Amino acid sequence: MSTVTEPVAIRLPPPRSETGVVGWLRANLFSSWFNTVLTVVVGAIAVWALWFALRWLLVDADFTVVSTLGGLLLIGQYNTDLSCPGQNCFWRPQAALLLVTILLGMSWAIAGSGLTKRIAIAVAVVIALFAFLPYSLERMGWDVRLLLLANVPALLLGWALARYTALGTWRWVSILAVVAFLLILVLLRGLPGVPGLQPVSVLHWGGLMLNLLLAVAGIVVSFPIGIALALGRRSRLPVVKLLCVVFIEVFRGVPLITLLFMSQVLVPLAFPENFPLNSLLRAAIIITLFSAAYMAENIRGGLQALHPGQAEAARALGLPGWQTTLLISLPQAIRNVIPAIVGQFIALFKDTSLVYIIGMLDIVELSRKFATTYVENGMLPYLDDVHEVFIFLAVVFWIFCFGMSYVSGRIERHLGVGER
Amino acid sequence: MAAILQNLTYQGIPIWRHAQIIQWTAQVVSGFLVVFLVAWFFFNIANAIDEREIPYGFSFLERAYQTPIGQHFLPYETSDTFLYAFVVAAVNTIVVSIVGVILATLLGIFVGVCRLSTNWLVAKVALVYIEFFRNVPLLIQLYFWFYIVLSLPPVREGYVIANRVYINNAGVSIPFPFADGAAAALVWIALAAAGIIAGNAVHKGLTQREITTGQPSYPLIGGFATAIAAGAVAWLVISFVAGAPLVVSQPAPQGAFGRIAGGFTVSGGLMALLIGLVMYTSSFIAEIVRAGIQSVGRGQIEAARALGLSPMSTLRQVTFPQALRVIIPPLISQFLNLTKNSSLAGAIGFADLTNVAKTMTQTAPAISIFILIMAAYLAMSLTYSLIGNLYNRRIRIA
Repeated sequence: MSTVTEPVAIRLPPPRSETGVVGWLRANLFSSWFNTVLTVVVGAIAVWALWFALRWLLVDADFTVVSTLGGLLLIGQYNTDLSCPGQNCFWRPQAALLLVTILLGMSWAIAGSGLTKRIAIAVAVVIALFAFLPYSLERMGWDVRLLLLANVPALLLGWALARYTALGTWRWVSILAVVAFLLILVLLRGLPGVPGLQPVSVLHWGGLMLNLLLAVAGIVVSFPIGIALALGRRSRLPVVKLLCVVFIEVFRGVPLITLLFMSQVLVPLAFPENFPLNSLLRAAIIITLFSAAYMAENIRGGLQALHPGQAEAARALGLPGWQTTLLISLPQAIRNVIPAIVGQFIALFKDTSLVYIIGMLDIVELSRKFATTYVENGMLPYLDDVHEVFIFLAVVFWIFCFGMSYVSGRIERHLGVGER
Repeated sequence: MAAILQNLTYQGIPIWRHAQIIQWTAQVVSGFLVVFLVAWFFFNIANAIDEREIPYGFSFLERAYQTPIGQHFLPYETSDTFLYAFVVAAVNTIVVSIVGVILATLLGIFVGVCRLSTNWLVAKVALVYIEFFRNVPLLIQLYFWFYIVLSLPPVREGYVIANRVYINNAGVSIPFPFADGAAAALVWIALAAAGIIAGNAVHKGLTQREITTGQPSYPLIGGFATAIAAGAVAWLVISFVAGAPLVVSQPAPQGAFGRIAGGFTVSGGLMALLIGLVMYTSSFIAEIVRAGIQSVGRGQIEAARALGLSPMSTLRQVTFPQALRVIIPPLISQFLNLTKNSSLAGAIGFADLTNVAKTMTQTAPAISIFILIMAAYLAMSLTYSLIGNLYNRRIRIA
């Protein structure tokens, strides 16, 4: 009796050269003789560059200039005898930072786990770690260290607030964010007559604090202006359209640095002589208007990409024009251009370094100016030490900008932009 | 009157909800607001001009500027007028922007293609390049390169390469063809034009031959070789016949301080500006190129490979022409950004338009200068947009 046996296909394992590390190397680095040569040459250059960079970083580089600058990098001349005589004003930017951490904690509680949680925890922990910088106590007292450490409880406080009270909605967080921003401005500026809140001239605001304030104020305020300009540019009303087009094209056509510089010269003329305008406000206004012109173009792109059926359906359902725009078109348009808006925020953050032209000491100008002055006064030995400052600044900006573009990429994937 | 009202309130819609009336009111109100605001600014400026005796008008353009301009590409003396100084500064900006745009485009395309390389190492190196240079403010990069130039050895102890190239803290001096008068300049231009025309003709002929016969004829290499050879031969012939009217000026140290004279000196500021602008902009261009190439359908590349085109030919003749349609519009806006970013030159001591205008406001009316500088930058922006749109129209499908 014979049974029919099914022919069994013998499954051989793939050859060793196609799998594992060897296979990966063959596929990605040595797939042809050209690729092999390329890998060897580029690899040699990369190793050489890395070795050069590491040797410089570990042996030649002298980062004392950064520690000499110290707190100046963060808040500029805010806490010097010049701006805050006879008092320690360092706690005020610190308290402002605590407000931000509380808001971050609230966002974490509302958004639940995920990216928001990780960002919130990372920010609080990194700030708290600054408390352990090996500074002498006279340079960085116990109060400063404690305030830095307080960012962790502040984060948890915000989380608890949002979790266990009625404040735990995005609406409340947005309202509180605006309140906090105004509070931060008051805290930093000070109130005359209030003990401990001695007024500090905005001319002494500086360092990273100034960059962040200008960027945040610029992007937040430019948002509604940008929406208005975008709608105006798409409007069928000729006068409105013309005004918006002229505004947008003029502000986009001229470099920010030119506008900033001219604001210094021209804006004082365009307002009455006793009009309360200082250079910080002028810079903020110009940066906001500049950013609004770009924001308008971003949002206009989003509106253009929207299928006209959306607005037609809304009209067919009987929504009046303004509701069609506000509830149907704009939310979808803005959702589609979130990556572009984050990109613009990154560009704006980088552009805040241009305020050097009107004599404000942001982190870049402050470092450059003080580092070169230290060299001239003999406090630092060589002009070469200035390189370390710029490397340090580059890393600081890189962390912020790369972090933001990473987050933007995550949001993009989360929202599924471009996948419908 | 009653008839108009009747007409406006048709179908029982009250006047204040009539679409046209709302729209017209919006226009009139916004128009009035803007006019009022502008009028208020002008009133204030006029007041300030009156009360604080602030100068205005354009008569200053005829006056001598009397201020030195660092490096300049047009001949300039301090006795020249404001108007001419403004032109010199504008030419500085234009030269930097054109050179920067060309270099940044070449580097950006190279890095963008590397980013998509199948070679893992090359792709990662390109990624690091892009992510580093586009996430650091241009100002910091400019300062970095500038202080590197500043910390080079002084002129007398500077580096010398083959007695031709001098590198020191004043900049880099290289040999440069030097036009001795207008006639010589014309000869130079004619030579260059002849070379380009000859090269172009050879390129066309070889392309035609490749298409008709199917033999690989290397039109690009042939074209370039012809252009260079034609230029070199013409130069030699003219030098022999006319006794070297075309001088290549060599840099050489001169005088007690060993200052480098002759050749062309790229000052530290200009060099830092170009390096910074090119690195920064090329990282953005690389991303644009990558996105453009990725937008070309995979089937196109597979079909090209199936037809037997080499990877290089696939990229050059199939992928890239199609990717260009996606690449051009954002690329033009990067060109504009580069031109506008060149205004950071002031920070590192190169006299561009903004920097010179800033100095001018100390001795001339700021309002007039503002108008001039706005006009100059807007003209540059519009030129770039125009060229971009024309090119875009040429390569558009249908």
